[in-house]
Amino acid sequence: MGVAVLIKQVPDTTSKVSVAGDRVDESSVSKWSISPYDEYALECAMRLKESGYSEVVAITCGPQRSSKALTEAAAVGADSLIHVHVEDSLDSIQVQTLLSAAIKRTGSEIVLCGKQAADTNSGSTGPGIASILDYSCVGVVSEVSVDDGVLVATRQGPSGLEEIEVSAPCLFTFDKGESELRRPNVRGIMMAKKKTVEALTPGDLGVDLGESAVIVNSHSSPPDKPPGQKFEGVSSIATVVQKLRDEANVI
Amino acid sequence: MEVIVISESNGDLLHPVTAQLVGASSSLGGNITILCPGGKGLSEAAEISGVSKVISVEGDCFQSYDSNAWSKALAPHAEGDLVLTSSSSTGRELASSIAAIRGIPVLQDATNISEGIVVSRPIYSGKVIETSSVKIPCVITLRANSYEASESSGKAEISTVNQTADVTISIRKALERAGEKIDVSEADIIISGGRGMGEPSNFSNLEEVADLLGAAVGASRAAVDTWDEIPHSMQVGQTGKTVTPSLYIAVGISGAIQHLAGMRTSKYIVAINKDPEAPIFGVADYGVVATWEEALPALKNELSALLSN
Amino acid sequence: MMRNMAYEALDFYDIDSMLSEEERMVRDMVRDWVEDRVIPNIEEACRDGVFPDDWRKEIGEMGILGAPLKGYGCPGLSYIAYGLICQELERGDSGVRSFASVQGSLAMYPIHDFGSEEQKEYYLPKMASGEWVGCFGLTEPDYGSNPGDMITRAEDKGDHFLLNGAKMWITNGTIADLAVVWAKLDGEIKGFIVEKGDEGFSAPEMKGKHSLKASVTSELVFQDCKIPKNRILPDVKGLRGPFSCLNNARYGISWGAVGAAQSCFNSAKEYSLSRIQFGHPIASFQLIQNKLSWMLREITKGQLLAYHMGKKKDDGTWIPEQISLAKMNNVDMALEIARMSRDIHGANGILDEYPVMRHMANLESVKTYEGTHDIHNLILGRHITGIQSFTREP
Ligand SMILES: Cc1cc2nc3c(=O)[nH]c(=O)nc-3n(C[C@H](O)[C@H](O)[C@H](O)COP(=O)(O)OP(=O)(O)OC[C@H]3O[C@@H](n4cnc5c(N)ncnc54)[C@H](O)[C@@H]3O)c2cc1C
Ligand SMILES: Cc1cc2nc3c(=O)[nH]c(=O)nc-3n(C[C@H](O)[C@H](O)[C@H](O)COP(=O)(O)OP(=O)(O)OC[C@H]3O[C@@H](n4cnc5c(N)ncnc54)[C@H](O)[C@@H]3O)c2cc1C
Repeated sequence: MGVAVLIKQVPDTTSKVSVAGDRVDESSVSKWSISPYDEYALECAMRLKESGYSEVVAITCGPQRSSKALTEAAAVGADSLIHVHVEDSLDSIQVQTLLSAAIKRTGSEIVLCGKQAADTNSGSTGPGIASILDYSCVGVVSEVSVDDGVLVATRQGPSGLEEIEVSAPCLFTFDKGESELRRPNVRGIMMAKKKTVEALTPGDLGVDLGESAVIVNSHSSPPDKPPGQKFEGVSSIATVVQKLRDEANVI
Repeated sequence: MEVIVISESNGDLLHPVTAQLVGASSSLGGNITILCPGGKGLSEAAEISGVSKVISVEGDCFQSYDSNAWSKALAPHAEGDLVLTSSSSTGRELASSIAAIRGIPVLQDATNISEGIVVSRPIYSGKVIETSSVKIPCVITLRANSYEASESSGKAEISTVNQTADVTISIRKALERAGEKIDVSEADIIISGGRGMGEPSNFSNLEEVADLLGAAVGASRAAVDTWDEIPHSMQVGQTGKTVTPSLYIAVGISGAIQHLAGMRTSKYIVAINKDPEAPIFGVADYGVVATWEEALPALKNELSALLSN
Repeated sequence: MMRNMAYEALDFYDIDSMLSEEERMVRDMVRDWVEDRVIPNIEEACRDGVFPDDWRKEIGEMGILGAPLKGYGCPGLSYIAYGLICQELERGDSGVRSFASVQGSLAMYPIHDFGSEEQKEYYLPKMASGEWVGCFGLTEPDYGSNPGDMITRAEDKGDHFLLNGAKMWITNGTIADLAVVWAKLDGEIKGFIVEKGDEGFSAPEMKGKHSLKASVTSELVFQDCKIPKNRILPDVKGLRGPFSCLNNARYGISWGAVGAAQSCFNSAKEYSLSRIQFGHPIASFQLIQNKLSWMLREITKGQLLAYHMGKKKDDGTWIPEQISLAKMNNVDMALEIARMSRDIHGANGILDEYPVMRHMANLESVKTYEGTHDIHNLILGRHITGIQSFTREP
């Protein structure tokens, strides 16, 4: 049985993101990388493979540039690569429909992905796909392993950290994992170069995308912060705490 | 417009974000129904002003968390034009699954929802605000504290439906939170102490505040160099870690340029220092001129009051 | 998830766009490793005067040793990729790059090009994986720039060779599992493989360096050192042997120097933007800007030189004199940039908080080894005039 891992290419978290006109300026992104939580999903997929699953298929959905993310996944060991090629921005249900169709095509009954992507910060993709495919869905996991035929995961659930078990078919969304990410090596990079990326259009997957129900009107920089405020004395702590909630919205 | 709010619980109680979801819905002028998964917080939900109906969705599946089962049980009762949940992990998962079951889009982590429906939400970890128009029906998750909570002077009609779905996840055991401290380079909130803390043992005061906020404790170089107990891994600054949390609280730190180099891009900065001339106030969004001995206990009290609310 | 700000390597003429996907991936892999593993630990390694053994293992795991060599478990990368590897390693520390240069270009390369089939199969896979470390013994206490007069000798004793003499300044010597040693057999220079533990062989470490502190430098001492007959490199004799190794290593250094210079430039840029004197960031003063612009100019030229040299290595159209120019020029500019960057940092520049003084001290060695700066001048002088000026003898 194979493991599918869903990866998205995003601006590296260390690179600057700026807005030009009313859109994020992609040309100013100095480095594109696999979204960080997806990297933990990929690491886990490689570990599952080492514990006996037959192969790891990495799947991405996005514009042309994103196929590089697949090559990077191949460099750390992904066996086969699928690029669902779309240049337009899609709404959540469109992305999920495409990826679900791609997963179905591979027959993978274990699907791993990040809990959210570092660009849109949404977290819709994993649970949505699980519903479309009617797979079990375990969110915000840090580790998945196999124990006597069942899948065991550590998840951050609503009632705290817990160890759960579940059977395939199942989709897991990853938080930062517990295990150290493997580094690529030259052999991996050379092999990655030889692996072909299977490029599929929505049509190839039998998906009619229809029209997006979401239209992005604009991207803008967040409003400037109010100028710094200084308060005298300990009695101001209450005010500051309230402002942290109401103005800054950080607690 | 029919609005379905899926309540969020906090143990057996209602999480305060639920009233904020109602607040946001009211601003859109919809007919509001609250769904309480597993019936948790039902009576509190019924008291939220502006709600016309509260439905307790009860079934075996609500005994433990299984997003797929929960959303299958909730979806038949979430047929509204707009479905709203909080943007907690659970809220996001339920929202995504219900949207997928219904074949409609979901927009996550909105900080503003206006008629149209037009949604604003932070993306790229807050570096960009995206504004988009979405057709109804749709599902939206709302960031906590973006809207005023609706008052609790209402009296909505309560009904109960029995609906369950197969649970496929079984909990083997609850795990202890790994005792390890949160690392400053990964924390979303950091509270750092400097030489002004006087003694390394006084850092326990920072830890208490950090525990309340789920924050990491950092330090200035002077603190790291002076006290063996404060490891270099805690150091923020040019020769320590460069951090960009959403909130950075500097306590007893003067704000030397090398320290600022590591934290000035934090989204919000609070400074607590007894010297009104300390340069740290130059970068602080909120500065408090006070000693930590007075300020930290007050901060702890205010935070516990606010967070337990 | 938050990480430190990205290291943005100076690349004014967009060399990046000329690289293949594979070359970029290799470069990024090494860059990430240096960022994660070398930069946070280098000062401690220098203080302790050690080359951490973890680095050996991890460099081996990355599979970058002997980068351009093909077969026998070697990576088979382009010379451009090899250059990029050197650049990234030396951005961390010249000592780390030295480790890889010696292993790949000075120890694996002669076995690969001049060794017997049996030697290649036995040594190369273990060296490519970093399991075995090699060193290169050419320089002697009394013969540096003119190794042709070396004293170390080998005698054919029928069923074995007997080596006598001493080598000095040998990178990796003490930690090496094998040494490629150049010695005279019947008056002619030949290469020999000496293994750790061979009778009559020892490799004491040299202490007290103010430069390349995180690199191991040793003496190799041969006192009636007995080695089997199959340890001679069959396919080369004369100075061509060691010199062809040096060509590869020098080429790598021309990239490595760029890495060290990029590191010094970066530090100077950041420092000058944040350091305020006379009420303004020092970066706003013309004298500082002049220095920064000079650095940018020299690094850019050095990058183009190294890149073009790499292309020539890859298509085999190079001559050794071109490599001499690249090594000499790039190390010279890197050293000058390190000094200038140190100056811009004021007193802070002498602290180990900043990489500049370390690079500066390291580059002094780099200027000397692999042919001193002036020896390369003499090589070019001979090329221009046709007259050798190394020695007064005809
Ligand atoms: C090359 C270099 C690199 C450096 N890198 C770093 C770095 O990475 N990180 C870093 O932090 N520093 C770094 N420094 C050091 C930096 O210059 C400062 O020395 C250091 O940040 C000072 O730390 P501090 O603010 O804790 O101490 P001080 O400057 O001594 O400030 C202590 C502050 O505490 C206040 N205080 C005292 N008592 C109380 C009280 N009871 N309640 C409230 N406030 C009180 C005082 O008013 C004062 O403002 C570096 C320096 C150099 C030269
Ligand atoms: C850290 C370090 C690591 C090293 N690692 C190795 C190694 O792994 N293996 C190895 O074999 N060697 C190694 N070396 C040795 C290095 O290659 C020699 O130091 C170098 O060849 C110069 O030799 P020398 O030091 O004897 O200097 P000398 O040859 O004595 O030169 C001294 C000075 O005289 C100048 N000079 C010499 N001849 C002439 C001339 N004809 N005309 C004008 N000027 C001249 C030189 O340019 C120099 O300025 C290493 C050296 C160092 C510092």
